[in-house]
Amino acid sequence: MPEPSPTSAPASTDSPTLTKAQKKAEGRARQEQQRAAKAAQKQQQQQQSGQGPAGSSSTKPKGSATPRKSGLESNTAASSSKDTEGAGGADGSSDGPKSRGLRIFSHFGLPKTPGHQIKGDIHPVIVRLGLQFSEFKICGANARCIATLTAFKTVIQDYVTPPHNTLSRHLMTHLSPQITHLVNARPMSVTMGNAIRQLKLEISGSDIDLPEQDAKDALCHKIDNYIRDRIIIADEVIEDLAVKKIKDGDVVLTYARSSLVEKILLRAHSLNKRFSVIVIDSRPLLEGKTLLHSLTSTIPPIPCTYALLPALPSLITESDIVLLGAHSLHANGSVYSRAGTAMVAMLAKEHTVPVMLCCETYKFSETVMLDGFGKNELAPTKFSPDAPKSNSNLEILNPLYDSTPASCITAVVTEVGLIPPTSISSIPLALGRMSL
Amino acid sequence: MASDPQSAANQRIVEDLVSRLRRRQLVGSRAAALETLLVLRQVVSKARSSNINQLVNIIRAVGRRLVEAQPKEHSVGNTVRKVLHHIREEYHTASEKPVVESSFSIAKFVLQGQPRKQTTIVRSGSEARAPLKENDPNDPDSFARVLKPVLMEAIQDVFDELETVYDNISKNAKDHIHSDEIILTLGTSKTVDSFLKAAAHYRNYTVIVAETAPSYGGREMAKSLSSAGISTFLVPDSSIYALMSRVNKVILGAHAILANGGMFATSGSLLAATAARSYSTPVVVCAGQFKLTPLWNLYHEHGALDFGDPSAVLGFDEGDLVEKVDVINPYYDYVRPELLDVFITNYGDHPPSSIYRLLKETYDDEDNEL
Repeated sequence: MPEPSPTSAPASTDSPTLTKAQKKAEGRARQEQQRAAKAAQKQQQQQQSGQGPAGSSSTKPKGSATPRKSGLESNTAASSSKDTEGAGGADGSSDGPKSRGLRIFSHFGLPKTPGHQIKGDIHPVIVRLGLQFSEFKICGANARCIATLTAFKTVIQDYVTPPHNTLSRHLMTHLSPQITHLVNARPMSVTMGNAIRQLKLEISGSDIDLPEQDAKDALCHKIDNYIRDRIIIADEVIEDLAVKKIKDGDVVLTYARSSLVEKILLRAHSLNKRFSVIVIDSRPLLEGKTLLHSLTSTIPPIPCTYALLPALPSLITESDIVLLGAHSLHANGSVYSRAGTAMVAMLAKEHTVPVMLCCETYKFSETVMLDGFGKNELAPTKFSPDAPKSNSNLEILNPLYDSTPASCITAVVTEVGLIPPTSISSIPLALGRMSL
Repeated sequence: MASDPQSAANQRIVEDLVSRLRRRQLVGSRAAALETLLVLRQVVSKARSSNINQLVNIIRAVGRRLVEAQPKEHSVGNTVRKVLHHIREEYHTASEKPVVESSFSIAKFVLQGQPRKQTTIVRSGSEARAPLKENDPNDPDSFARVLKPVLMEAIQDVFDELETVYDNISKNAKDHIHSDEIILTLGTSKTVDSFLKAAAHYRNYTVIVAETAPSYGGREMAKSLSSAGISTFLVPDSSIYALMSRVNKVILGAHAILANGGMFATSGSLLAATAARSYSTPVVVCAGQFKLTPLWNLYHEHGALDFGDPSAVLGFDEGDLVEKVDVINPYYDYVRPELLDVFITNYGDHPPSSIYRLLKETYDDEDNEL
């Protein structure tokens, strides 16, 4: 789908926008015609050659989809003339052959362009946060959740209840476009979802009779408590629990960078445990380098080994324990985490190295995840600068996450203790909450 | 070579290849095999010998020298073994001692009774030749004079086989890849590349290429495949597991096939094969016969038998880290036979369990240690 990018075309100065748009629309239409003709030809050929029923059925929807899409494209071309924002020439050229990709990958969507549009009344803090999200300046489930909640505190403080409305009823309608804006910047993380659900609950439960400022202060206090209880204190408890599992002389293997695993390792080091760390890393994000920096800047530095994911089989035999972080944990015990985690856990299991997953309870999700394919996210292209340019036959995919089956995880370290991954669903109840 | 008094020229070409192997100026199994064969041809043509043992010893000495230069390039030793095998075969035919060849050959069996090319040529050629005389004091050159043309022919056959290895492997590609399948592969392998391209003539399918850090050979592979009109997706190594649930087949290249049916392959292969196993996805290995190696690897669970340049993993632009961190960059993985389903070779398709048999037929037992 063509997404008009806000970057203005370099040629926009010399020719009037209207004629240019017309020209473009014309060009598009011609292109579409050619493509449709080609598709029809191909279909004919295939029918002639009498391929299996599967072959013809797969081409049919493609053929029928083409005219509809051409209509859509001409629409956007027309609207772009109104918007006076010339769709960038580069954008147009990359749009041309895009329809080629396999349909099974289509749900991944395109990587978001950083400067997406601002629709409606968006607080500047949220605009800034949206940019930080889409540029991956703030990355990681915990960091994103804390940043979102902190930004919402500002939004709530700056909020004024319109006349004939109550805060408990209206604030959420004010917040939801802000949330939508963040989701447009990058798909919402499970942690953000859980926190926002909790916030909604608090807003709707706030006392109508309370003066507005008091109600806002109360909400901000609740947010602070949430961050403190569910993230910061929880992390400390998990650190205490996990550190006990690291013994002197151990080789700890970890993958990419989890803020929690980083804290655990630093804590173990500060407790004068003698251990070494193997950091496994992989493209697209190469976050392990950040972890290496913080582990080696301690005094004395923690002995570290660094390798990329393909080298894992040579190193897994030397490690005594694997510590992993998570993006979210699902009801069937599968772990949604940075792409590559699943292979580390799989290989560790094969070599009977215990796999400890470190994860706060607010990362639990009641949904079920069967594989890492159904739900995923693509990294923006800026993370693969050296990769060859994609063309009509070649596409670059950078999935950010994968899903580790529960069978590969030995134990989940949470703030309520070490539990097997299959008993995740019982934990919200143990915390005295019926919902997460 | 020390026992061989003559031809400094022989010595020179051997040393030339040795140094190129040692400096890794010559990499790649097939290239190494071809160069080895050229050297052997030269050696055989120049060698002065009055009986078979002398000739075999000369070749073994050369082979040992080459293998020691680069013990990880198994195709060098394999080529020497194969040439020795052929020389003995020719010798037995020429001296009209019946070869004790088992009537059952798994390669022939798999290839449905296609007679091996070199044997037919040899039989027809040796009919009219004069009887072979060894250690004849009156005419010391008679052995070489009679046998040499046959040997050169045999070496030429091995040479032809190497030249056509890709075509022969990809001959049956369309039987292995079906329409609308999704194939996963990784790294660069000329064999896999030609196999996939051959299948693309008949089938419409999709290839996912893992880019295989730190060499990023997958990027070259993806470029090459997409330029041949195959719909290609390039993904990082980390997403192999996430995508495996949609992959129909994993096709890998090999560096060396071992006697137990396992293989050495580009690092990353073990991850892909293990992930494939957890989704019960078949793993297919494409490799030329020259990669068959009479070695066992029962005791090295990890495949890091050779290490590459660590700066590819953590470059010097990470200045302060480089001093404090150990960086590991292994070249190869050892993939166990249980993780593989089939080897597609130019001698037909074989399961890992019958590789040992193929080895017995290809090489002579006494050459396993050169």
